[in-house]
Amino acid sequence: MDLAFTPEEQKFREDVRAWVRTNLPQDISNKVHNSLHLTREDMQQWARILGKKGWLGYGWPKQFGGPGWNAVQKHLFEEECALAGAPRIVPFGPVMVAPVIMTFGSPEQQQRFLPGIASGEVWWSQGYSEPGSGSDLASLKTRAERKGDKYIVNGQKTWTTLAQYGEWIFCLVRTSTEGKPQTGISFLLIDMKSPGVTVRPIIMLDGGHEVNEVFFDNVEVPAENLIGEENKGWTYAKHLLSHERTNIADVNRAKRELERLKRIAKAENVYTDTRFRDEIAKLEVDIVALEMLVLRVLSAEKSGKNSLDIAGLLKIKGSEIQQRYSELMMLACGAYSLPYIKEAMEAGWQGDYVGAAHCAPLASTYFNMRKTTIYGGSNEVQRNIVAQTVLG
Amino acid sequence: MDFDFSDEQEQLRDAVRKWVDKGYTFERRRAIVKAGGFDRAAYGELAELGLAGLYVSDDQGGMGMGPVEGMVVMEELGRGIVLEPLGQTLIASGILGGYAPEAVKSSWLPKIAGGEALVVLAYQERKARWRLDVCETQATQSGNAWSVSGAKSLVPAGDMVEAFLVPAIANGKMALFLVERGANGVQARGYPTQEGGRAAEVEFKSAPATLVTLDGLAALEHAVDIGIAAACAEAVGVLDKTMDVTVEYMNTRKQFGVALATFQALRHRVADMKMQLELARSMSYYASLKLNAPADERRRALARAKYQLGVSMRFIGQNSVQLHGGIGVTDEYIGSHYFKKLTQLELSFGDTLHHLGEVSARMQDTAGVFA
Repeated sequence: MDLAFTPEEQKFREDVRAWVRTNLPQDISNKVHNSLHLTREDMQQWARILGKKGWLGYGWPKQFGGPGWNAVQKHLFEEECALAGAPRIVPFGPVMVAPVIMTFGSPEQQQRFLPGIASGEVWWSQGYSEPGSGSDLASLKTRAERKGDKYIVNGQKTWTTLAQYGEWIFCLVRTSTEGKPQTGISFLLIDMKSPGVTVRPIIMLDGGHEVNEVFFDNVEVPAENLIGEENKGWTYAKHLLSHERTNIADVNRAKRELERLKRIAKAENVYTDTRFRDEIAKLEVDIVALEMLVLRVLSAEKSGKNSLDIAGLLKIKGSEIQQRYSELMMLACGAYSLPYIKEAMEAGWQGDYVGAAHCAPLASTYFNMRKTTIYGGSNEVQRNIVAQTVLG
Repeated sequence: MDFDFSDEQEQLRDAVRKWVDKGYTFERRRAIVKAGGFDRAAYGELAELGLAGLYVSDDQGGMGMGPVEGMVVMEELGRGIVLEPLGQTLIASGILGGYAPEAVKSSWLPKIAGGEALVVLAYQERKARWRLDVCETQATQSGNAWSVSGAKSLVPAGDMVEAFLVPAIANGKMALFLVERGANGVQARGYPTQEGGRAAEVEFKSAPATLVTLDGLAALEHAVDIGIAAACAEAVGVLDKTMDVTVEYMNTRKQFGVALATFQALRHRVADMKMQLELARSMSYYASLKLNAPADERRRALARAKYQLGVSMRFIGQNSVQLHGGIGVTDEYIGSHYFKKLTQLELSFGDTLHHLGEVSARMQDTAGVFA
């Protein structure tokens, strides 16, 4: 047992840190550090910089052009990116669909799709949730009917994150209504420029346009865009979910945001207020405990000696922590969190801030963060999963 | 970064678990509680396993092991809610080994390792609450000889042990002394404690004392941190067993014709308990792995750990009782004894609010395991 990273891991961290600090544009990290609005160009620019280095697909094996890092190296890379204020990598291409294409796609599909994902050129979206299927994903209804060498897709996806920028979307579609709901689902890659695809914004409670509805009206999809076998899509999607392990806890970002919370609390003169300070202290212990939990999972993955089935715990605790720091930041500014001036959440605004610049985005972020305990399998569903592992 | 246990550590765990399962049954424990809460023979068995010498160096007759081994042993003793205070032996051997002059080490450490001498920390004073720098006990030097006068509370098995580690003020500054229970001027009034163990009020009237170190506050803080790490590990053992009995009960007890484990409201409670258990285990690891860090870093880490363990112990303890229903509040059922043990551990070496205050006072701009 040892808490310290090995000298090799330390060296790796330092190399990554030096590279990220040199190559991350400062105007972008400034936005991230202050929760200001990130444009498509900001996200795409960072993706291209990473893509050029070969690190956008940082979880990829060497055989597909990735760096071939182990679980600890991936964690250290994520941590250095988060602490430096890099935008979160939009995961749908490099983190979500790419591993499925690598594992279950044909060589032709791999050659066709992976290069555009690795370089950051092609923006992918995820078409899972539907109006009638939230946490009960297997109940999805979007139909894909095979007609010759095409599938005809009809239905609707929702909560599709950043689909307004999407060029391709990977979808779970129903190809059979026989047997269990899970066994009639297929995994289909759809060009969003296809006739019959319509994207409509959903404006969220913070006023932001982050998610969308995506409609499919007799959309023709070449059968060659089917991943693997028909009706096996659920298995592929589950494989994808098992790829997401420690990342879901987002502990690295939590560490960065805790530092920010302390800066804001100092500026607002509540850092020395015992009642407020103790709330920060509780959050700090939560973050340390979550980090230890993450490190335990990483260690288990590295050694392969013991397996830790606690992904549900990571999701629950990580999302609760995200909500808590956004809440405490808002509370630190008190009533000065209330003005809703959209321009004040843009970088470089020259207008008069109410209170201070750091107050402007806090309530919006707080409202936005309510999503974290709902998406990715709501925390109540996660509790079901955890209870299943404990009680059977 | 590695959280696997070595083969030797696993063997140590197995050996202690075997003794707990076979040698320290609930029935034997019950008899010990009835007889006063401390059993010299049971403590002797721990020493025979080598556990009293865990932190004593090889050349002084011990095993020369470190915090991770200490943690493994305490987890297992926690599983058996063992009453004999081995955590105190870890404190005494760690502090004497780290701070005492050679002569004191060689006259006490072999006896501690062999189990002939049980030495415990006597530091709690009525006016100090959880503060370590508040001490009314005084030390006086005359020639080369020291004596101490004052009173210490809640000293573990205080009327049964061979000697005490006693913080006392010498020339205005805290120093640490070793005082034998049999020395002139020492009086111990023993009593049972809520969880079934034993403690004593110990009074020193010009009692002859051996100087351990003049750097008394640093040594006391270190002693308490060793105690916290041991308590955290012990707690993890108790928590594991608490979860086990709760899960078993929920899968067997039927209400409205079905097992309790079928009710979602209860299942979610168990998920929350599992969360607290794994956070507690993580922070117990953290505590032991930070035990040899520089004092500032160590104090901050141990306070964080004890806070988390306090929260987890209360949550799991209370909810385990609740999920059991009526049987959970009976003396007959083992679960209530786990609950009482968890409560005792929360109130040892600083309670949860105290450690929240410590974490709060020690916060830095950055945070995290490596901060």
